[in-house]
Amino acid sequence: MGNLFGKKKSATRVTEQDKAVLQLKQQRDKLKQYQKRISQQLEKERLLAKQLLKDGKKEKALLLLKKKRYQEQLLDKTETQISNLEHMVQDIEFAQIEMKVIEGLKVGNSCLKKMHEVMSIEEVEKIMDETQDAIEYQRQIDEMLSGSLTQEDEDAVLAELKAITQEDVALPEVPEEALPTVPEKRGGMNSKN
Amino acid sequence: SEMSFEWPWQYNFPPFFTLQPNVDTRQKQLAAWCSLVLSYCRHRKLYTLDVMEAQESPVFNNKKISRKLSVEAIQVVFEELRKKGNLEWMDKNKTRCLIMWRRPEEWGKLIYQWVSRNGMNNSVFTLYELSNGDDTESEEFHGLEEWMLLRSLQALQAEGKAEIITMDDGKGVKFF
Repeated sequence: MGNLFGKKKSATRVTEQDKAVLQLKQQRDKLKQYQKRISQQLEKERLLAKQLLKDGKKEKALLLLKKKRYQEQLLDKTETQISNLEHMVQDIEFAQIEMKVIEGLKVGNSCLKKMHEVMSIEEVEKIMDETQDAIEYQRQIDEMLSGSLTQEDEDAVLAELKAITQEDVALPEVPEEALPTVPEKRGGMNSKN
Repeated sequence: SEMSFEWPWQYNFPPFFTLQPNVDTRQKQLAAWCSLVLSYCRHRKLYTLDVMEAQESPVFNNKKISRKLSVEAIQVVFEELRKKGNLEWMDKNKTRCLIMWRRPEEWGKLIYQWVSRNGMNNSVFTLYELSNGDDTESEEFHGLEEWMLLRSLQALQAEGKAEIITMDDGKGVKFF
């Protein structure tokens, strides 16, 4: 719809699905109003039937009750229709959510693809190789360095070991007497440890 | 519910029903009248007033003390309300008016809070559904008259929180 009057109008955030849902809801509103009307009529007729019975007009009262019964059935049918409309609305709303999920997956997917383009398999292999070389190189350096320090380290370690053994916590004395013998109980309970 | 309305002390004070000549007193008097009219309309959920009918309404007519506010005085009170933004004339002859005991922006806020609370952002509603639907029965804006509902939604629209949709059979709104 063009800007007929040159008025600046921001883009609408209302989708076709929204309009469809709105139409369904309008139909439901109409049905609800119809229901209200019928319910009110039913109430009036119920009172009228009571009055007719009081006045002894049994035939008329019966006729009125028949009419009332028919309207009650219409009311039930209306309720079913309202249910149908509401189901449809919920289906559309859920479909919109599903659409959003799929869109989200699409975006995530293309993101992943782009990232994979950046990290090609060959590149990763190359990096891994380079890393391996670097690790190897470092190991050699460590060996060289550790070689020159070993003698000093060994002496320090031996000294520490001595200190620890001298600090030893005194263990309790092992008891001298023999263990008392447990008398033989029946059923061979002693065999169970 | 007529009984449960709390009348302010001035209501039973006879001079309250006569426009006071002293400027300061009159100012206080008019402020009290404005406040009374708004509270009463809020209590009875009245959205429009007819001047002739108002004359006979308990607000301007206290039968207990046999005092009623004159038509001229009522007009003065209404003019005060209009200046404060709580009243709008519906016709040139000033016979009927819209009474806004709550401003459209405030209604809009209430409605939007209900929408957010129920996770209904990005849903569409018909206007009928908002004011008369089963889902809104316990809400303060249930029963809001369409003109006021529309203005409240327009206030929200200006804030980008809603968009009013016009269809063949009526209007709807989408909340964001």
